[in-house]
Amino acid sequence: MRVFQLESYVLLLSGKDCLNFLDGLSTNKVESTCTTVFTKSNAKIIDMVEVIVVGENIALVGHNKYKTNLLDHLNSRILQQDVSMRDISEFNNVYISFDEYPKVDGITVVSTFRGWIVVAPTSYTIESTLTLDAFNEYRVEHLIPHHDYEITPSMHPFNCRLDHLVHESKGCYIGQEILTRMRSRGNMGKSLIRVEGSPEDATTIGQTHSLVIRKV
Amino acid sequence: MDCGTCETAPAIEVIKPKVVDVNLTITEKALDMLTEAFGDDRSHALLVGVLSGGCSGYMYDLQIVETTDIDCQEIEISGFRVLVPNASSHLLDGIEVDYVDRLMGGGFKINNPNASSSCGCGESFA
Repeated sequence: MRVFQLESYVLLLSGKDCLNFLDGLSTNKVESTCTTVFTKSNAKIIDMVEVIVVGENIALVGHNKYKTNLLDHLNSRILQQDVSMRDISEFNNVYISFDEYPKVDGITVVSTFRGWIVVAPTSYTIESTLTLDAFNEYRVEHLIPHHDYEITPSMHPFNCRLDHLVHESKGCYIGQEILTRMRSRGNMGKSLIRVEGSPEDATTIGQTHSLVIRKV
Repeated sequence: MDCGTCETAPAIEVIKPKVVDVNLTITEKALDMLTEAFGDDRSHALLVGVLSGGCSGYMYDLQIVETTDIDCQEIEISGFRVLVPNASSHLLDGIEVDYVDRLMGGGFKINNPNASSSCGCGESFA
């Protein structure tokens, strides 16, 4: 089993308006468990998160380094809606598995475009079988973007191969006007590609190939 | 996922801006349209609220309601009850509710001095 531990936060959202709240502020149609991206008004990424429906609550799993920015973004927009948030990061570890991860009681597993995201209580030991280099090698081979490498606050979703997370027909959200214009004009800017060697502009360097974000 | 301990995780404090006493006006045209919508029945109220979302981050929410669970302040304007949620009072102080008579993009409009930018359709603001 190819497993790597991620540096993730886990927020637990409660309240009847949670899904509507997340849907109104992110790029994908949020109706159930899915992956979505929060963007600023200039369409640059705040964070890409896994939205996981857990009973009556919603878990948001994102990249630790971007947690504060996302919280600031969400916090000021909870007005009369029934939404409350708790940070349960310290009770859980988050992993990514590149092989289907078995369902185990107490462990939450969701299939995503990157692989299987596994959220496990800290008391449950999961061995990380991949080193960072091996994890990156797999990403380079399969063109998988990752937080802090390709998915960064200076990129918009089309730059880092997250096109499929930008819903084509959902209503307005912050950044939507720019993303829709880019898509409708066929001008999506730079995009994530895999190239041979280790060029200077590489975002992730593998053994023989690298990932770069370039105008193609 | 550890939800057994979720209950012990502290809630993230939501920024609650200061509640302000909202000063709100309604134009003659909008009052005419409200009269048409309400008829003689003044038991209902016009709820003017703000929801998250839209191109600019906040969206206006206009509803005709009899009652609401939302914590609101009530204003009376020309015999109409207007309810403004306290949670969004800081975003709505000083607004003017107008009615624009147009085939496309017509209807009730909010002119908001607190908005730094607005969406082209006029439904959302930042």
